[in-house]
Amino acid sequence: MPGDTGYVQALDLACGALLLTAVLIVWRRELAVLIRVFAVQGLAVAGLVAVLAAHERSAELAAVAVGLAVLRAGILPAVLRRALAKAGQARRETRPLVNVAASLLAVAVLTMLAYAVSQPLIALAPSAATQAVPVGMTVVLIGFFVLVTRRRALSQLVGFLLMDNGITAVGFLTTSGAGLAVELGVSLDVLLAVLVLQVLASRMWDTFGSADLDELRELRDS
Amino acid sequence: MNLAATSFGIAMAAGALSIVAALTIPARARSALVGSGVAITGLAGVAAGAAAMTGQAFSLALTGVLPLSGVSFSLDALGGLFVAVTGGVAVATGIYGISYAREGSRSTQAALPVFVTAMLLVPVASTVGTFGLAWELMALASLLLVLTEHRHRPEVAGAGRWYAVLTHAGFITVLIGLLLLAGHATGDSFPELREAAGHLSPAVAGIVFVTTLAGFASKAGIVPLHAWLPRAHPEAPSHVSALMSAAMVNLGVYGIVRIGFDLLGGGPRWWWLLVLALGAVSAVYGILQAAMGTDLKRLLGYSTTENMGLVLIGVGAAGLFAASGDRGLAALALAAALLHVVGHATFKTLLFLAAGSVLHATGTRDLDALGGLRSPMPVTTAAFGWGALAASALPPGTAFVSEWLLLQALIHGLPASGVATAIAMPVAVAAVALTAGLAVATFVKAFGVGFLARPRSSAAGNAHESPATMLAGMAVAGAAAAVLAVAPSVVLPGVAAASNAALGAAGPAVTGVVTLRLAGIAGSLSPLMLTLALLAAVLATAGAVRLLSTRRARRAARLWDCGAGPLSARMEYTATSFAEPLQRVFDDVVQPETDVDVTHHRESDYLVAAVEYRRRVPDRIERRLYQPVLTALSAWGQAGRRLATGSVHRYLGYGFYAVCGVLLLVAVTR
Amino acid sequence: MSALGIVGGVVQPVVVVAVSPVLVGLMRQVRAKLEGRAGAGIGQPWRDLRKLVRKEPIAPRGTSEVFRFAPLVLVATTLVVAVVAPFATTDSAVPAGADLFAVVALLALGTVALALAGLDTGTAFGGMGASREMTIIALVEPTLLVAIFALSVRVGSTGLGAIVTSTLHDPARVISPVSLLAAVALVVVIVAETGRLPVDNPSTHLELTMVHEAMILEYAGPDLALVELASAMRLSVFLGLLANLFLPWGIATTAAPLAILVGLLAWVVKVALLGAVLAAGEVFLAKLRLFRVPELLAGSFLLALLAVAASFFLA
Repeated sequence: MPGDTGYVQALDLACGALLLTAVLIVWRRELAVLIRVFAVQGLAVAGLVAVLAAHERSAELAAVAVGLAVLRAGILPAVLRRALAKAGQARRETRPLVNVAASLLAVAVLTMLAYAVSQPLIALAPSAATQAVPVGMTVVLIGFFVLVTRRRALSQLVGFLLMDNGITAVGFLTTSGAGLAVELGVSLDVLLAVLVLQVLASRMWDTFGSADLDELRELRDS
Repeated sequence: MNLAATSFGIAMAAGALSIVAALTIPARARSALVGSGVAITGLAGVAAGAAAMTGQAFSLALTGVLPLSGVSFSLDALGGLFVAVTGGVAVATGIYGISYAREGSRSTQAALPVFVTAMLLVPVASTVGTFGLAWELMALASLLLVLTEHRHRPEVAGAGRWYAVLTHAGFITVLIGLLLLAGHATGDSFPELREAAGHLSPAVAGIVFVTTLAGFASKAGIVPLHAWLPRAHPEAPSHVSALMSAAMVNLGVYGIVRIGFDLLGGGPRWWWLLVLALGAVSAVYGILQAAMGTDLKRLLGYSTTENMGLVLIGVGAAGLFAASGDRGLAALALAAALLHVVGHATFKTLLFLAAGSVLHATGTRDLDALGGLRSPMPVTTAAFGWGALAASALPPGTAFVSEWLLLQALIHGLPASGVATAIAMPVAVAAVALTAGLAVATFVKAFGVGFLARPRSSAAGNAHESPATMLAGMAVAGAAAAVLAVAPSVVLPGVAAASNAALGAAGPAVTGVVTLRLAGIAGSLSPLMLTLALLAAVLATAGAVRLLSTRRARRAARLWDCGAGPLSARMEYTATSFAEPLQRVFDDVVQPETDVDVTHHRESDYLVAAVEYRRRVPDRIERRLYQPVLTALSAWGQAGRRLATGSVHRYLGYGFYAVCGVLLLVAVTR
Repeated sequence: MSALGIVGGVVQPVVVVAVSPVLVGLMRQVRAKLEGRAGAGIGQPWRDLRKLVRKEPIAPRGTSEVFRFAPLVLVATTLVVAVVAPFATTDSAVPAGADLFAVVALLALGTVALALAGLDTGTAFGGMGASREMTIIALVEPTLLVAIFALSVRVGSTGLGAIVTSTLHDPARVISPVSLLAAVALVVVIVAETGRLPVDNPSTHLELTMVHEAMILEYAGPDLALVELASAMRLSVFLGLLANLFLPWGIATTAAPLAILVGLLAWVVKVALLGAVLAAGEVFLAKLRLFRVPELLAGSFLLALLAVAASFFLA
């Protein structure tokens, strides 16, 4: 059906944007660029949910899409920018633990892993929406990877938020709505986490003069 | 809505109201309200259980309460027995707790009705989810209650730790077994599990049985998983110890009977030989430790291990007979075991409540420091004396009837086939006999040293009788034990119904009102006639003496002191010295540690100023079994520290590698 | 409850009470003659009892009702066993109490009462006697119950009447290995339970060697008379049980007066013979150290266990 093809194409566009922005975050190292790319990804997630809302003709989903856009493309990047402003000179990620070429290779491996793992999920209920689930899984794994391999608190924060975007995407693709209440709760959680981590990052900057997490080595029991 | 359902509903409502009362009412009236609430819950529980044992059953399913599965209850004769026993114990301890628990905080007073309600829910649960919920609620509430006095004594925290670890380890093994079974069934309700058990392979059924046996045996205080029992019982407040010993450990037996006989439908002989062996070892080890002990409540705790061992001997024998096809004899053995559960609940409650009264009056549990309590505390002394007689398997006593039934079942089991049974029965009889003899010695020691003669310390010298509600609680338990001792036919139809429900047999194994007659076997006993004959003989002898003796008035006289002057309280036999010959006989098993400390005079080493002798009987199984495990765990923990380098990235990396590893595994094995 | 049982229930306790002190006197006389002494005569225990009953009753300071009632309980338990057990007649006056377990447990109850009385005095001797007696009881119970097990398996019941009747109908069973082993085990048990040599010396006056005597050290007057009578009755009851479980011939199976008379006489003769043999054996034995007694009891337990094993593999 033509309506359907439009729907499938819009869905694919949104997912493609999601994946592309995730890869860009792994590739680029300037913190300001990371935040901008993250905002674009927020728009992509909101767009994904809007497409689903249009397909299902659900006002609730539309409301959720607007909320997501406001939160992930507006509020969160603003908070991140404020944290960045405090950072001062260090506007680049200094030597990530894994260099960029190896990171991109790892991203490729993670994509294949995500596809392999998502096959049973797709086989359970094949549809246009579930075909896009592997993308969401990939974004989750990429987010985790960024979280693990970056030195700056801010980059790790971006990685954490990437994971959340991916989880939201997978949730909406498989169930077309995890319930408004759940989504609200999760968003509130994420917002709080970001605020806390922002404060932590600025405190670290004030105390140590750098927000390099690798300098922290006292978190052990001996 | 039949009687069983209404009574159970009343019990739950009373429990809920007590919890609310404990949290809201101010301190002055709180313990009275909570105590009465618990007693009412208990009464309703007894009514519900009794109604269920006479054939009325009920089922109830509430789907909204728990997500995914909901909770569902179903009361049958087997569950009814345990509900009734728990209810009875709750009545006595609720009344007792009105005075005893007066100074408790809100949370500990609220935990008591939670504990009782959870214990009433466990035998009624009919899905794995409900069972797990009720079991865990019971474990958490009892943990809170055990830790009531942690501000007064440092040992309470250690006891709480042991209790928490062992009870949760037991819960996990039970859950593993039940989930394994549920995995092979279409759902997790008991009827579905029953149906699936018919198609299980023997290996899987065996694993299910052994894992659930391990968990339930730990709860019942069976060796080698008993280590929590002698620690938690002395440190908990006495009415909580009574509830734990007389109501909670029974639920371990309930689990074994329910899973082994009802859900898994009996099984191969080796299951029941294992149960029998565990029971025999626990019975002998428990009473041996009790015979050596000097802490009154620890002694009673080990006695619980012994009695649960005897119950498991009965359950194991029942399973063996059922596996050989002799359902009638199996019903007799199981009825004996269940009757012992009921009887043990009555006299153990009585004993713990009396011990609590002693602790309340003197402040000490050490038998070596007690004594001379008969004049200041006559009611408590009488209560403990009756409880000791009931516990020591002598007529007229509660344990005498159930042990007689058990021995009859074991003796008539010989003609049944199999070399294994043929070796197991004499061993079981020898174990029961050894425990009977040692139990007599233990309780003579506990009663004689703890209550008679003169006080051995100033704490005992200042004793006073307990308040009226505590005495009333003891009276309730004592009356129940007396009824079971002379008229066990009051509960025998119900016990037989429960045993038949578990085994699927028909027809009562024991009949008769005044005289107990065994079905299909030559054997009869009339506890009532024996008691009456004994009373008549006592009266006849007293009358004869009165007739024949010429002088009536008794003259007070001095005790024989070898002419050396008045006796001091230090010359009395203590519990340690009383048990010393027995300890020498069982030296290899018990391996006590002795310390002799000699203080010499300043002037010369040949002159002794003081000698201090201390003997400790450690729990040998704990030392041999638990110490190596704990040392290994500690070593692993130390080795694991090397993984914590302090780098945040490394910690995050561990998580990442783990997630990717699991996903890879999932992708590959699909 | 048949006529035979009722007659037995009335006649047996009277005979037991009358005969027991005579039995003790007989045993002392046999010992005396074998040791080259004149002896005090068979009637001396009765003369002692008469003297004691006429004395003033005493209540030692600090004792309670436990001390006062223990002799009554001791005599009462032994009386009930005398009524119920098949000494002169196979039927019992209280058939629902004539169970081997019940009888053994009743006798143990008597010992427990005495031990508690010993502890109640609060003297070191009382405690010592009680502690030793309880150790012996704890070790004797397993042997007793396993020996009962061996005897009951063949018969299919633990009812005393049933065991005696089945031995009457099948005399050859007495010489089977099961019976012989069980009999030897039971002899050791009886020696331990009644406090005879080599487990305990009933005529010692050294407190440190006492087991039974230490518990009753504080008793005097009518109380002591009851205790002495009770220990004599326990001896005759135990010997009577041993006699009739293994050699029941002569016991009355019908309610005819002649049969009952024959049953009583046969019982008295058997008990007297056993008592004399026991006394004669005591002349050649010395008392064992307390800590060697468990070895003796363990040996008897092994014999009882062998009896059980034989009862199955030879059945």
